[in-house]
Parts: sequence; structure tokens; C-alpha cells
Amino acid sequence: MGDDGIFEELKQSVIDQDEEKVLATVDKALAAGVDARKVIDDGLLPGLDVIGEQFECEEIFLPELMQAALAFQSAMAVLEPKIRESGGEGPKKGRIVLGTVKGDLHSIGKNILRLLFETSGYEVWDLGIDVDLFKFIDKAKEVDADIIAMSALLTTTLIGQKDVIDALGEQGLRDKYRVMVGGGATTEEWAQKIGADGWAPSAYEAVTLAARLVGAQAGSAA
Amino acid sequence: MTFAELLTPAEVERLHEASLDVLESVGILAHHPGAREVLGRHGCVVDGDTGLVKFPSDVVERYRKMVPPRFTFRGRDPRFDRTVPDDGPTVVTGSSAPNVIDPVTGVERRATSTDIARIAYLVNELPGFDVFSISTLAADAPEGQFSLSRFYPALKNCLKPVRSNTPTMADLHGVLELGELIVGGRDAYRERPIINHHYCPMVSPLTMDVDSTEAVMWLTEQGLPVYTTVVPNAGLTAPMTLPGCLVVGNAEFLAITVLQQMVREATPVIYAGLPTVADMRTGAYTPGAIETGLLIAAQAQLARFYGVPAGGYIGLTNAHANDAQAGFETGMNTMLAVEAGATLLNMGGLLGSLMAFDFGKCVTDNEIALMDKRAWRGLEFGEDELALDEIAAVGPGGSYMGRDHTKKRMRTAAFLPRLAERGTRSQWEDAGRPQLQDRALAEARRILAAPNPAVWDGALDARIREHFPGIVDGDATSPEALA
Ligand code: B12
Repeated sequence: MGDDGIFEELKQSVIDQDEEKVLATVDKALAAGVDARKVIDDGLLPGLDVIGEQFECEEIFLPELMQAALAFQSAMAVLEPKIRESGGEGPKKGRIVLGTVKGDLHSIGKNILRLLFETSGYEVWDLGIDVDLFKFIDKAKEVDADIIAMSALLTTTLIGQKDVIDALGEQGLRDKYRVMVGGGATTEEWAQKIGADGWAPSAYEAVTLAARLVGAQAGSAA
Repeated sequence: MTFAELLTPAEVERLHEASLDVLESVGILAHHPGAREVLGRHGCVVDGDTGLVKFPSDVVERYRKMVPPRFTFRGRDPRFDRTVPDDGPTVVTGSSAPNVIDPVTGVERRATSTDIARIAYLVNELPGFDVFSISTLAADAPEGQFSLSRFYPALKNCLKPVRSNTPTMADLHGVLELGELIVGGRDAYRERPIINHHYCPMVSPLTMDVDSTEAVMWLTEQGLPVYTTVVPNAGLTAPMTLPGCLVVGNAEFLAITVLQQMVREATPVIYAGLPTVADMRTGAYTPGAIETGLLIAAQAQLARFYGVPAGGYIGLTNAHANDAQAGFETGMNTMLAVEAGATLLNMGGLLGSLMAFDFGKCVTDNEIALMDKRAWRGLEFGEDELALDEIAAVGPGGSYMGRDHTKKRMRTAAFLPRLAERGTRSQWEDAGRPQLQDRALAEARRILAAPNPAVWDGALDARIREHFPGIVDGDATSPEALA
């Protein structure tokens, strides 16, 4: 079990939110012949778990969470190609296409959402603000997304969420993606009315929702 | 009155210089092609590919000095016109909340045009409020009448100046048509533009949007009243320091102000802000935090340096009920602003960080506003007010109670609250221990029980209804519904 030390070091470097240390430790592990997959599963992800818990109990705040996430992502940029080379699958829990709907410039909530998704191990494509309905759908197709997540802060732009769901239906793609909606202007009733698969009042709860949706999808696909 | 100053004169100048530096070296991302064109034509350096606009300091200095020192809000009845800063604290309701706390059930729900009509009437009657910024949206708006369904009930039920935004140019033209019908034609409207426009074209950090910028430029060109608010959010869209947040907000204020002056020289503006420090535990928006008061106070000083009226969204709260938190957040922050010389206070009626209107909160904010206005009057120091003759006449051990001197001043020297409890505990218990919110809602019901004298005559209403087929009723109906 001589490997334990390196996994502990990997985990700690994420907890320390120290990108340089994360990258150096990843290099060290790879040089020592540790499998890229194990670097992630037994080193980095346990570190992110701790970070998540610390965030939840307000021991650490958003900027710290974000730096840990960024450090993790830099490491993934190194590790993923290696996994693919050896024919492995990415370790991600799921792929999420995220954006604020057409006509809406509110980005703050969406950005927090992205951060929490990423720290929970999802791969996120953030399309930004004022996102056209076809951009959501095209990107979802392109990256073979599991979830389309849309934020809307204005009652006048809410309709953009419905438009995406309707267009998915028209293209015969409605069952291919789970759609979740949120943002200040939305309500649970709205989400039900437009036929979304889920709604959450905060980014934190959106993560639980994502897990449920991806789980459900895996279940239904099986 | 001398104002509280959080910044030394040197610090104010440093903030100004720092903002000039940011505008010149970092620049503003301007998404609206028309804005880029105007800025470029007047001396800014525009990168056509990226949309980044750099503002040379001398250009900023030239245009910002054109701003006149006052801004006037006009209402249906000119007696209610208000000019900042001359008329002292000008208290405006908080606006555009999607929801209302139902005054009967206490449950939050989508707001409607009927809610707007009732709120307009309430604001018309509550003396603490000077401007009605349309508090909510109208979920019952017919297709294509999003803004009409807000402005019609608002204007119909309120003689005070009405303020709000419109999401599209088509909506903007629609509400202006309504305004023209009300005052009797286009020329008359140009004389008395009774709709006071407001937008947030600056998206922190340092970005100018498309739609709001377009509306601001068009209104400015037309010489119609419009002002903007800058909304830097420290930790998320601005640096995590109060001075850094001020620099970003100030650069944004200068950018949009300079653009307006380029469109039309000597356009009145207000240095209005909704500066916040984000709660970095969750990213929550915190308009009720004490830092908002500090930042607004500092912006008031910057505004004085520029010779423009100051204020903004101050006295809003994160509380979800009209409770102690709602009171202290509104009270403490507006007090800071008033003492610092801010005269535009966008404070009334909203809960939950601008998400919901509450009738009880509105009536409570009226009382807070009247206290703020009393504070603004200050001690009213003078030889007469020292009352030396009176002190001599009453002498040691006497009483001032039955004196003419007292009688003459007893209704004006002190603000007399309608909501704040002043009785004894036993009286309060006998009355069934009413909470502030009970008293506030009772006051709202009392006001709304009578027919609204502010409503215009039937002939005008018929013309409006004919012009806009299918428009909402816009009536402040049924006090019973509020019972
Ligand atoms: C900051 C702000 C702005 C900033 C935005 C800056 C930025 N970079 O985002 C600026 C100043 C640019 C702005 C502009 C406008 N705004 Co604005 N804004 C706000 C404000 C005060 C806070 C929003 C915020 O950042 N909240 C903090 C974040 C953390 O919360 P959140 O976004 O709700 O996100 C959380 C959850 O909802 C959830 N979530 C979010 N998205 C999603 C998605 C999914 C899938 C899930 C599951 C969950 C989820 O997770 C997040 C974290 O927990 C809100 C009021 C409010 N309290 O929401 C008004 C508000 C939304 N704006 C409003 C208005 C009117 C406007 C303007 C029209 C003003 C104007 N006249 O110019 C423009 C519109 C511009 C446009 N076209 O979008 C109104 C909305 C009215 C309406 N029509 O519905 C509000 C309610 C305020 C008000 N009462 O006036 N605004």
C-alpha cells in the first residue's frame, strides 16, 4: 500500500485549493506509474468531496470552492487524454449544457450553478447569457449532453425555457435530454407546466437534482 | 445641513482618477453598435471587433462636466413634482418585483395589474412616498401589453410621478402613447412628460448592454426624463473591497453618463446605485446589508464632487416577512444614505431581495421614510429655537406643557408615527398584542377602503380603453378582498 501517501497528497492538494501543488502531485503520481483513473478516483475526487463538505458547513466560501474546482479542472486537462489513450471512459458523473435564456443577461446565479456542478464532478458547457434556444439544443447534441440546465431571472424571458423544451419535442429529442430549469423568475409550478424534468430553488439543491436526473436517465436507458 | 462624509476630499479625487484610469486603460465592453458609434465619434477609441471602448480622460472630463445639477420627476398633478436634490429626500418605491405577498392569505404569489392599481392608490395616499416606481409586474397582462398592464393601473391610480422601465422599444412607445393620451397630446406631453424612465444598461463589470442602452439613448435624444442605476456586486462582479467596488461602479456611472451627454448635452442624470457586497458563503444578493449603506453614502460624496443628484436602491431587505430584519435593514441603510446627503431613496415595499411586494412593508416603509425626512430636517438650529425667553418664563421647576410656545410647535417639532407603538404594555395586551405588521396591514385596508379620488375621469378612461383594446381594468378594486 505504498500508494496511500500519494493519494493522500493528491487529496490534500485539492483541499488546499493549490493548483500548482495539484499539478505537481499529479505529475509525480503519473511518473510513479499510478493509473490516471486512480489519480482521479482515489486522490482528486475524495479531495473535492471534502471541499464540498467544507462548503456546505460554511467552513470555506465560494472563492475557495472555485479555486479547488479550477485546480481540479487543470488536473483533468492532463489526465483525461491519458484515460482516453488507454481507451477508458471519462470519470464524469454527467454532461450538462448550461446557460441563461434568450434576452436575459443575469449571470450570477448561473455562474454559481456551474461551479457547484463542476465541483460535484459534472462536465459543464456554459453557453453564457442571452442564449438562443437552438444554441442550447445544438450544443447538447454536439457534446451528447445528459442535462440541459436553463436559468431565467425575468418573467419576460422565462418563456425561453419553454421554447427549448417545445423545440426538443418538435425535433423528437425530448426524451434524449433531462431538462432542468431555475432562476429567480421560475417556480416549481412553472417547471411542471412547461414539462421540465426538474426545478430547484438554489444551486445547492440543483446538484442533488442533477444526480437524481442523471440517475433516472441511466435507469431508464438500462 | 452638513453631510456625513466617509471619504476625505483626497480620497474622493483618488476614486475619480482611478475611475478615469479604468475607463482609459481597461475600457468598457459596449454591445450596442449605436452606442459604439456615438462614443467613437466623440473621441473614444473603439475596437470594432471586440466592442471594447476606451475612454480618454479628457473626453470623460469634457462630457461629465455638462451634467446639470438636478433631475425632476413629474406626476399627473404638478403639485407632486419632485426635484432632486433640491426637494430633499425623494422617496421612491422599490420596483418590478414579480411577486406579491397576498394581503389576505399571506402567501407569496405572482402579482397582477389589480395589485398594481391598489399599490398605486396606497402610494398616492402615503405621504412618505414621492415617486411611484411600479412595484410589481402584472402576470395577467394580455399578450403584447406587458408594460401597458403596469403603467395604466399605476398612472390611473396615482397623481405622484410614476417611474419604471420597459423591456422593449415597442413597449416604450406604447407607454408613451398612453402618457400622451393622459396629458392631451404629444406637445402637451413634451411639456409635462409624466412617465419617468429608468434602466440598468450597465452590467457589471464594465459592460454596456444592448436593449437598455438603446432605450436610454433614444429617450435622451428625445429629451425625455431617464436615469440609470449602476449595480456592482463586490466579490462577484466587482472587487471584494468597498473602494474597488466604488471604482467599478463609478467608471460605469461615468461611461453611461458620458454617452448620454454625447447624445444630448446637458441631459439631467442621477448618480444612482445598487452597490452590494455578495454573501460569499452562497453568492446571495444582499441589498439589505450594511455595506450597501456605506457604498451609497460614498457614492453620494462622489455625486457631490460631480455636481449631480445621488441615491439609488437603498433600504431594501433580504427578509421574507415584514419583521425586525426588514425594519433594521431598511432603517439603518436609509439613515446612512440620508446623513450622507443621498436624496433619491428607492426603498419602499419590497421583501426578499426585490422579489416580492408586501402591503405591510410598504406602509412601514412610509413611516421609515417620514422618519428619514425628519432626520433630514435636522435640529433646525436658530436663535428662536434656543427658546431662551421660554426657558426664562417657565423657570426652574415649571412646566412647558400648557404653553402657547409648545402648542404652536407640538405637531411639527417631532414626527408622530402611526405604526410605532407608544402605549403601555397593558394597553397593548388589551388590544390583543398587535404586531407591527397587523397595524401596517390595517392601515393599508383603511386607506384602500375608500374610493380613490386620484382616478381620472370616465371620458379620458374611455379614450384610453378605446385606444388600447383589451387593456386590463386597472382598478384598485375591492377593499373586501383585503379584509
Ligand atoms: C443583479 C441583478 C441584475 C444585474 C445582473 C448582473 C449579472 N451579471 O447577472 C443587472 C443590473 C445587469 C440587472 C439587469 C436587469 N434586471 Co435585474 N436583478 C438583479 C437582482 C437584484 C439579483 C440577481 C442575482 O444575481 N441574484 C443572486 C443569485 C445568486 O441568485 P439567482 O440568480 O436567483 O440564482 C440562484 C437560484 O435561483 C438558482 N438558479 C439560478 N439559475 C438556475 C438554473 C437552474 C437550472 C436551477 C436548477 C437553479 C438555478 O441557483 C442560484 C444560486 O443559488 C435581481 C433580484 C433578485 N433578488 O434576484 C434583479 C431582477 C431579476 N432584475 C430585474 C429587472 C427588472 C432587471 C432589468 C429589466 C432592469 C432594467 N430596467 O434594466 C434588467 C434586465 C436585463 C436583462 N435583459 O436581463 C427584476 C426582474 C423583473 C422581471 N421582469 O421578472 C428583478 C427581480 C429585480 C426587480 N425587482 O426589479 N439585474
